[in-house]
Formats: sequence, C-alpha cells, structure tokens
Amino acid sequence: MARRAEEIVTEAVGQFGNSRESIIQILTRVNNELSYVPPEAVSEIAAVTGLTEAEVFSVVSFYSFFSSRPRGRNIIRICSTISCAMAGQGEILQALTDEFGVEPFETTENNRITIETTPCIGLCDQAPAMLVNGEPHVKLTPERACEIVRRLK
Amino acid sequence: MEKKVLLAEEQPEFGAGFLKALTMSPADVVNLMKDSGIRGRGGAGFPVGFKWELASAAVSEVKFVVCNADEGEPGTFKDRVLLENYSERLIEGMAVAGYSIGSSIGIIYLRAEYSYLMPVINKARERMTANGLLGKNIQNTEYTFDVEIRLGAGAYVCGEETALLESLEGKSGLPRNKPPYPVTSGYQDMPTVVNNVETLCAIPHIVLNGAHWYAELGLGECSGTKLFSVSGDVERPGVYELSMGSPLKELLGLAGAVDVQAVQVGGASGRTVSGSDLDQPLSFKGLPPGGSVIVFNNSVEMMGVLENFMEFFVHESCGQCTPCREGLPQLQRAVQDIVSGDVGSMEELKNYFTLTEVMKATSKCGLGQTAANCFVDIVTGFAEFHHENYQSHRRGSDE
Repeated sequence: MARRAEEIVTEAVGQFGNSRESIIQILTRVNNELSYVPPEAVSEIAAVTGLTEAEVFSVVSFYSFFSSRPRGRNIIRICSTISCAMAGQGEILQALTDEFGVEPFETTENNRITIETTPCIGLCDQAPAMLVNGEPHVKLTPERACEIVRRLK
Repeated sequence: MEKKVLLAEEQPEFGAGFLKALTMSPADVVNLMKDSGIRGRGGAGFPVGFKWELASAAVSEVKFVVCNADEGEPGTFKDRVLLENYSERLIEGMAVAGYSIGSSIGIIYLRAEYSYLMPVINKARERMTANGLLGKNIQNTEYTFDVEIRLGAGAYVCGEETALLESLEGKSGLPRNKPPYPVTSGYQDMPTVVNNVETLCAIPHIVLNGAHWYAELGLGECSGTKLFSVSGDVERPGVYELSMGSPLKELLGLAGAVDVQAVQVGGASGRTVSGSDLDQPLSFKGLPPGGSVIVFNNSVEMMGVLENFMEFFVHESCGQCTPCREGLPQLQRAVQDIVSGDVGSMEELKNYFTLTEVMKATSKCGLGQTAANCFVDIVTGFAEFHHENYQSHRRGSDE
C-alpha cells in the first residue's frame, strides 16, 4: 500500500529541513516513491516551507524528472540523444511500446509501466542505454530491453 | 598525445594533495593555480586561479564551494567516469578550493540522471571523514570543511552555473543576469566558487606536482590534460585523456574512427567538423574542448543529426529569454522545411541565418548563445543536396 504524500513530505522534511533550498530534494522523494507529485504533496510542501503552492508547482513543472500527472510504478527513460539514436534506440523504443501497448509518456492500464524518452543520460559509450527507476541499463537490444521491463513488479 | 594523469593507473594517495595544501598559505594555493594556467574544464574555460582569487578577496563570513556534477551536454560522460572512480579526489579538490577561498561548506550538485552514483559519492565522503580529511578542525588546524550532495531533477540548463545556483536554492533553473558573478554573489548571495568535476579532480595533482609540471602537460600555450568522451561511429568508445591542445585526429585515432564524415566536437552546442578537417587542435582557442566528441560515418544523414539536436534544444530551453525560446522552434521548423524542400527562397534561408546571429548576440546564457552553432555548421557544411532540393522545388513552383 502506497504511503500518503503528506507522510513522505514529513519524513523528507525531517531529513532535509523546511527551507526553500530543500524542496527539490523533498520533491525527489515524493516523485520517486509515488512516481509523480500529487497536488496534496504540493500543498503540504507549500505549507511547511511557507511558499505558495504556485511557487512549489512551478518547480515541479520546470524539471523533467518530476511529473504532476500520475505515472506507472516503474519509469523507463530511454535515451534519445544522437549516440543512442545511432546505436538503435529507435528499435528499442518501438519494441517496448509495441510489447506494452503504450506510446512514449503514456502509462500501461495496470499502472505498472510508463515509458519516457530523455535527453543524454551520459552512457553514450555503452549505447543504446536507458534508466529503469533511475538504474542504468546499457548496450541494449530490443529483446533485452523488453526482458528487463517484463521482469519488473 | 595521450597522457594519463586524472585517469593514471598509479594514483597519489587520497588526501595527499589536500594535506600538502594545508601546509601552504591559502594565498599560495591560489597563486599555484594561477601559475599552473588551469582553466575550467566544464567548457567555459575561465581561469581557475583568477576565480578563486576573486572569491578569496570577497569579504564574507560564509562562502561556498559548489561542484558542478551536472554534465548534460549530449555525448559527454567523462564526469560520470570520474565520479564512479575518483569521488575522493573530487572531494579532496573541493577541500583545497575551500581552504584557499576561506569556505567550510562544499555542495556537490549531482544531475538526477546520475542519482545511482549517490552511494559511491557518499562512501567517498565517509572514507574522507574517517581519515580525518573532512570535518571540524581538520588535522588539528583551524580549518573546517564538509560536503553535501544535492540532486538535480533533469534540466540541461542547470549546467550553466547561475541556473545551477538557482536550482540549489530550490527554484526553477533560470540563469541569472551577470554581474554580479557567483564569486561575489552566488549561492544564497554569498561568495561562491563553482567548478566542474574534472577541474576539481585535477586540483590535488597540481598541489602535489606543482604549477610548472601541470603547465607542461599541455601543448603549446595550453595547460594540463583534458578528458574527452568519444562515442558514435568508433571502434572503441570511451573516455580518453590527452594533452590539452592535441589535434582531433589523434583522439579519433585512439578511439578507432575509420570512416569519418563529420565529428561533433563539444556536444550539441559545439561545432560540427568535416571529416577532411581533423588536424585542428582541441583547445580553448581551437575546437571546443568541453569533452563531448561524437563521430558520424558516411552513412549518417547529417540533417537528421541536426533535427535530433534541435529537438533537444527546444526541449531544454528554459524559456526565460525570447531569442532562445522563440528562435529555437523557428530553427527546428527551418530544418524540417530544408529537408522536405519547402524553403521558398534564398531570402528565407538567409533570414534563418540572421536569426542564428540574433540568438548568439542576445540570448541571456550559453544555451541560447550556442544552440544555433549546429544549425550553421550542418546546414552550410553538409547541405549541398538541400540546395538541389531547393532548386527543383523552385523550378517546380515556377512552372
């Protein structure tokens, strides 16, 4: 059972403090645990830091790792920069979207997987590469990429 | 010429450079950096000694040393390799910087894409602390220093130092107006030195071996060695360390580039060099030595590469200033039109080039000032067939 957003915020504030400088770290915790930043988290962070909800939300919307829309439990980020593109990123994205029946930035119906594309993740020497819940997977083939994603909870 | 210092197999003991710095006066450490000629290795190339001197001269109880670990330039991964293997050296470099400017707080701004490296960096910090190289009154001196790690959240523009500082302050990463510069008014308006991972990793080596040694590592007027991330159509992609000022050809030889149509040097914001023009040196006066080198063989459609870069820049523009926010989508459309032969006249094409000049001259930060480089280089250098397209299109419309 997922924890409530407020609970995650309270715990993160305990570690990082309630100053404005902490909000990206707090948001990261919420975003990682719930796969997105729900409105309740924005309100709670605004309340504890003394910022307005608009100020907090503007930060959520600025950074591409944060999402204000619900996503799947597992976030797949496929590098779309040129070195990965030349090494076959297109086929990997195609294989994943075919197998799981979603377009990039969509979530499977069972809320298990969201597939995203992302600019350079700094693994160009081992292209094509992707991040699965933040962990790197490299030298992918379409088969291996699907296998990795299939095994996720 | 290949010359391994940061990546050498034989490494000086962790902390030795910092311990030696503690026996010197802070001003002497600053002078050592000035004499070594080291310039920022993130790409901008600002002289490190001068930056430290300015921060050192700023009067403030609180100052900061910030490590820019937000390498996001397409095709660069050298800082990832340094963080994976040499995090202690990095923190040591930060401690030396802190000592020389009078700062006791270091912050590592780690890009979200590298969040899996947090444990490695934390471990390095713990090891430094256990060995008495971080904390209060280090080695029974007056000097106190510690570092913390903070995550970014996915924004290329935060590699720009003032955007990075905004992000550290919990805001959107919108670059600031300069002046004031971070050395006098940086993180929380306090004097702040912002240095790249590679720069900070080089510092302990300079303290241990001297300014002259470091200066001599480079070719000609250049100082030190430089790390390059090579990817694309090469047999041995990876990170290579060469004397600063080495010709591009030599780097490509090491990485095993056989069939070379073009090379993107310095990432998407850098320059596109033709395969027939590889003798140029990688240096602050030559090809941009930021670290990203992507090789394209003759089968690659360069206008496709340009479309990829344009899509990247449109996505990553922070939107704050008009030339960048509005100019990039125009250039993106221009690329599509050139490819499909829909550019109506030479006049229209010229207008796009004028737009690139406007963006370069009037954008607020490095992103907008450099984003059009690839448009200029690729359209002028690799678009002969587009001219034919354009001709046939014109003929078609005249009939």
